[in-house]
Amino acid sequence: MADTAGSDGVRCTFDVWPRTKIDASKCVVPFAAVISPIASSSAAAGDPPVLPYLPLRCKPPCPAILNPYCRVDFSAKIWICPFCFGRHHFPQHYAAISESSFPAELFPQYTSVEYSLPVHPGSPPPPPPVFVFVLDTCLIEEELGFVKSAVRRALGLIPEHALVGFVSFGTQAHAHELGFTDLSKVYVFRGDKEVTKDQVLEQLGLSVAARVKVGGMGVSGVDRFLLPASDCEFTLNALLDELEMDQWPVEAGNRVSRCTGVALSLAAGILSACTQGTGARIIALVGGPCTVGPGMIVSKDLSEPVRSHKDLDKDAAPHFHKAVRFYENLAKQLVTQGHVLDLFASALDQVGVAEMKVIVERTGGLVVLAESFGHPVFKDSFKRVFEDGEQSLGLSFNGTLDIHCSKDIKIQGIIGPCTSLEKKGGADTVIGQGNTTSWKLCGLDRSTCLTVFFDISPNERPNQPGLANENLYIQFATSYQNPEGQMRLHVTTIARRWVNNTASSEELAEGFDQETAAVVMARYTSLKMETEEEFDATRYLDRSLIRICSKFGDYRKDDPASFTLNPSFSIFPQFMFNLRRSQFIQVFNNSPDETAYFRMLLNRENVTNSLVMIQPSLISYSFNSPPVPTLLDVASIQVDRILLLDAYFSVVIFHGLTIAQWRNMGYQNQPEHQAFTQLLQAPHEDSQMIIKDRFPVPRLVVCDQHGSQARFLLAKLNPSVSYNSANDLAPGSDIIFTDDVSLQVFIEHLQRLVVQS
Amino acid sequence: LDVNSLPRPLDVDEKPSSLTEMYPMNCPPRYFRLTTHAIPNSQSLLSRWHLPLGAVVHPLAEAPDGEEVPIVNFGSAGIIRCKRCRTYINPYVTFTDGGRKWRCIICSLLNDVPGDYFSLLDASGRRCDINDRPELLKGSVEFVAPTEYMVRPPMPPLYFFLIDVSINAVKSGMLEIVANAIKSCLDELPGFPRTQIGFITFDSTLHFYNMKSSLTQPQMMVVADLDDIFIPLPDDLLVNLSESRNVVDAFLDSLPSMFQDNVNLESAFGPALRAAYMVMSQLGGKLLIFQSTLPSLGIGRLKLRGDDIRVYGTEKEHLLRIPEDPFYKQMAADFTKYQIAVDIFAFSDKYSDMASLGTLAKYTGGQVYHYPAFQGHIHGEKLRYELVRDLTRETAWEAVMRIRCGKGVRFTSYHGHAMLRSTDLMALPAVDCDKGFAVQMALEETLLTTQTIYFQVALLYTSSSGERRIRILTSAAPVVADLGEMYRQADAGATVCLLSKLAVEKTLLQKLEDARHSVQLRIVKSLREYRNLHAVQHRLVGRLIYPESLKYLALYGLALCKSLPLRGGYADVQLDERCAAGYNMIILPIKGLVKLLYPSLIRVDESLAKVSNDGDSMKRLPLTAACLDPKGLYIYDDGFKFVLWLGNMLSPDMVVDLLGVDLSSFPDLSRVTIIGRDNEASRKLTRILRKLSESNPSFHQCCHIVRQGEQPRESILLLNNLIEDQNSGVSG
Ligand SMILES: [Zn+2]
Ligand SMILES: [Zn+2]
Repeated sequence: MADTAGSDGVRCTFDVWPRTKIDASKCVVPFAAVISPIASSSAAAGDPPVLPYLPLRCKPPCPAILNPYCRVDFSAKIWICPFCFGRHHFPQHYAAISESSFPAELFPQYTSVEYSLPVHPGSPPPPPPVFVFVLDTCLIEEELGFVKSAVRRALGLIPEHALVGFVSFGTQAHAHELGFTDLSKVYVFRGDKEVTKDQVLEQLGLSVAARVKVGGMGVSGVDRFLLPASDCEFTLNALLDELEMDQWPVEAGNRVSRCTGVALSLAAGILSACTQGTGARIIALVGGPCTVGPGMIVSKDLSEPVRSHKDLDKDAAPHFHKAVRFYENLAKQLVTQGHVLDLFASALDQVGVAEMKVIVERTGGLVVLAESFGHPVFKDSFKRVFEDGEQSLGLSFNGTLDIHCSKDIKIQGIIGPCTSLEKKGGADTVIGQGNTTSWKLCGLDRSTCLTVFFDISPNERPNQPGLANENLYIQFATSYQNPEGQMRLHVTTIARRWVNNTASSEELAEGFDQETAAVVMARYTSLKMETEEEFDATRYLDRSLIRICSKFGDYRKDDPASFTLNPSFSIFPQFMFNLRRSQFIQVFNNSPDETAYFRMLLNRENVTNSLVMIQPSLISYSFNSPPVPTLLDVASIQVDRILLLDAYFSVVIFHGLTIAQWRNMGYQNQPEHQAFTQLLQAPHEDSQMIIKDRFPVPRLVVCDQHGSQARFLLAKLNPSVSYNSANDLAPGSDIIFTDDVSLQVFIEHLQRLVVQS
Repeated sequence: LDVNSLPRPLDVDEKPSSLTEMYPMNCPPRYFRLTTHAIPNSQSLLSRWHLPLGAVVHPLAEAPDGEEVPIVNFGSAGIIRCKRCRTYINPYVTFTDGGRKWRCIICSLLNDVPGDYFSLLDASGRRCDINDRPELLKGSVEFVAPTEYMVRPPMPPLYFFLIDVSINAVKSGMLEIVANAIKSCLDELPGFPRTQIGFITFDSTLHFYNMKSSLTQPQMMVVADLDDIFIPLPDDLLVNLSESRNVVDAFLDSLPSMFQDNVNLESAFGPALRAAYMVMSQLGGKLLIFQSTLPSLGIGRLKLRGDDIRVYGTEKEHLLRIPEDPFYKQMAADFTKYQIAVDIFAFSDKYSDMASLGTLAKYTGGQVYHYPAFQGHIHGEKLRYELVRDLTRETAWEAVMRIRCGKGVRFTSYHGHAMLRSTDLMALPAVDCDKGFAVQMALEETLLTTQTIYFQVALLYTSSSGERRIRILTSAAPVVADLGEMYRQADAGATVCLLSKLAVEKTLLQKLEDARHSVQLRIVKSLREYRNLHAVQHRLVGRLIYPESLKYLALYGLALCKSLPLRGGYADVQLDERCAAGYNMIILPIKGLVKLLYPSLIRVDESLAKVSNDGDSMKRLPLTAACLDPKGLYIYDDGFKFVLWLGNMLSPDMVVDLLGVDLSSFPDLSRVTIIGRDNEASRKLTRILRKLSESNPSFHQCCHIVRQGEQPRESILLLNNLIEDQNSGVSG
């Protein structure tokens, strides 16, 4: 069987699966798949073919779709479903198939195909995408200026036919009636009072009752608030010109009153008047914490600090659960409507990302956290959302993911940007969004990733004789609306091998994907930290690692030196070492908002990127050699080197002391030092390559050894040389002031514990 | 009772003149008139005076050129007042001790003359500087008040508009006329450059307008949450007119078109009122409300009532004439507290509960304008004129009025659009030349021993120019022991004015019948008393005799009983019209009131036919159909409208000249206009009508044309109002 992981956008923690639950649990790492439901696959395999017809399905209740793993009897024109073993005659329009000519979905290399669902002649054109901007006006003049120009730029990039709506908020929330031409007109809602969807519709005159009252007929009236970008560009620009900071006075000792919750309810309410199936996103631009009304995360009283991890731990964050509940409910509404919330938070302090995480994740929204609307992290990321062409994120809408597994496999749930549709058939133990075989992905794009957790629970009844299968199959079918508004069905079918010989862990070990496993462990542990009280993540990771090493390692009891690991596991302990030190586990170094932000991105990125978050990559530039990846270790710092650290959220260019001195003396400007010029430039060019492809755009830090910004690098390095071990310090090297153990110490401990009898 | 022998007020309103001779320093009677300028010296004497004893105050009556009230600034001396009773210095005080003391006219206290105000006395005891001291020469004077008369800096003139934009308001043409009228007089609003302005429009939702001067056009802010009213901006809903003039102009320009397709039937009037209150309460000012339908949504919504004929004649009848929902009275109280005066312009063609709406004006110093079944092409000019007058007439802001009087007399009731703040302080958020007030008085137990009783009205207000001022009106009246003297000094105009206000208020407490009865009873008793007084000496038993001063009283009494607020019963006057007329009667000064009670009826066809221009006959005729000659053309003028009555046998040529149509074609006379035809008769008629209009600038008179026998218009417009006729004022 060919390794199709790359082209399918599916990576599993194990590629061979034991047949029993007990054996599976002994593997410690969950049986899980990281999938990209609509990934355009790796360049090598080419894009999945787009098939302009309806898929051929098995007989209900089996939902399987024809795929390369089906056995086909060309002469009898019969195919056998690998999931239910049902035999089906091909329908009339497949009559011409033969061994030399068959449809693409049966090509062995096309385990992923995309059906472009045919449009009935005369049916209306696909609904245009909708963008509702929700703009915070409780900002200082400068920030308001930044955010206005960002929105202006976005308006210039939005396709002309896309519908645009505008909500602004501060003490109160304003829905702008862009279709009203006589004056600029807004509907004003109290900021301190929860408002239901029906109330929004009623007050905006969009409900049936309201329309009867004012005498309007027929049309939903939402076109008063949502206008084609080409029609309202002038209005919107004029509106932005005159949009002011919130006018309500702020009392001394108080925060501004900011009604983010009401504003989002308002935007969601407007969208609820759209026709079913419209792809819409709420683009929330938030510059501070919600301080009034629903979704409030901190009171206006400045003497009350915004909640910290410590407060959350001690259950001393008075508004947290209420706010989360509010956003959960709003998320439910949006998911029902099929709409997305994108959160762009820019503030020095927290804005409530931790509370709003649920609505962003459930709707598959984008999230960017920056310290200012003027910062490139926001500016460049925001632009990317609307950009067309090569840089386009390919934002898609209204996704529904159905997963169908071979029998004996059930799905525990999904971690990532989606919502369970509660469609029965899931495993009893739930992880993340479970209790279902079907999920809603209101917003998704080519890079959207989900982690699916499987439960191996063989049926008590033995297999029908002769039908025992070597392989297990899983089919992922994602229907969605692409950026052009067309409906697509992306189908990926994977096959993995059952392992029969449970005694041998050799076979299992061979199928271990340590990168995927590290990422799954990070996501799984993060979820447990959020949902399980008193959960000790470090202890859990340590114990898991020890168990894995005990199961898959080679050693003699009580002899640490004898310990060896199968190459499939070789760097797994190092991943775990870095995971333990990462922002995902060591949350106390960050605010709850930052933690929520990091985790949302961890959960929706692909394995490679997520791995960079856990264990950053480090490249060293020097005169003597081409750029080389180097150890993520303080020992890699040299005075005559430049280091490029990619920690996903930040990219750091670090100049060794000598390099920095030369640069300060301006050698790079002298023709005879061209090599130095190139050396200086190389990491910048490489960093641009990283930044170009990444969303959100990472923060670029350029620093020098011993400079204050150097902490961005040092925090990520293995403290092989800390002040505890600084005796044998080489000249020009660095030390890290930490009590953390170094990787070497960690591995030694691990070996000792694993071999203990 | 021989009606023909009754004297009729066919000449100009007669004012008592003997007083001016007796007390030349009294303030002019246009400001203050007693019902009799002879105060009885005892309770027993008063008990034989069956008419109300009191006064009519018209504090801001328009003065003819050259007779303006002088303004006095005491500067460092401060305003000179009695230490004990706070009476203001006036022409009747006397100076003693070589000019170092002055004696109060009300409480007789000897007060020190402040050093800065000291003047030597001449041989006759008069101050040497008296000719430079208007306050010592004239009964009407205005003092500039220093800061201790202010609880806050003087407010700017402020006009806030609350405009119904529901379908009725748009379709009737009201919205367009109001927008145009406001825009047309923005330059004439008093108080430039401090004047403030703001707008709210409403139907089923409220619309606020951000008028910030930096905007190019206003921003409309809709609030649809009627349960929990809030305002959408802290500032800029009320703006300085001169700073935001462009935005205001842009708003008024687009206001009619903005709502031209509005089909909303609802009225969130109560919530809109609360919103206006929230916006205005910082500063106060005038709130002008334009309402074209019954409030139907939110707080203060009203229901149809008054269409039940069975209520009439019962104990509950009067309840129809007072507000049912306490919301309106509470709002009025709140408005007064924050110096907000409410004027109501009501336009509905259906019941809109004027009783409730008018309450807002009644307690806030406001005014009720009622245009039933308003149609722009008919009533547009009237609305335009009256709105512009309301906006541009000189207005006194955040005012309080107190009337002081000498010992032995006290005021017992106050009538007019105001809120009584304490027992004798009338709060007037705004007051102007079209507002009159009346007070009733009683005597204390003891016999009055003084020769003269003094009265002093003090109106403390903020002028549109931003000055705090006190208008002082001082009057003296003799104390008498003789009932005959009271009759001789009686003032019929003031008496009927007070009587009318009392009667209207009675209709709010009792049946119409009872209110009429009490008017009649007073008049009858009074005349009987007079007869008893004089019958013996004149030997005129059995004949009606009356004092010269009260010769019109019986006729006025009759007219009052036939006036809209008191007339007939259920079917005779629409409830809303009756209530509106009642509110109007409460504020009418004497002149307007007697004109309303006994309108002019003038025959004009002969004047129009004459070639010469001079001496248009304006002879008034008795109000009886018997005066109407079928060959004639008559103008009926009650101060609020003109009726042009065309006799059946009026020369057809004249009809064509005046109307441009031939009556034989049975034109719809409600749509015919008479202005601007190019012939002598038409020009003359126009001139006559203009002259009549000018004599009553407080209102615009629409000219209704009716021909003899054109029913029911003839009855409604004219015949029912010919009060001397038996069947006038009641249907069937
Ligand atoms: Zn099947
Ligand atoms: Zn005194």
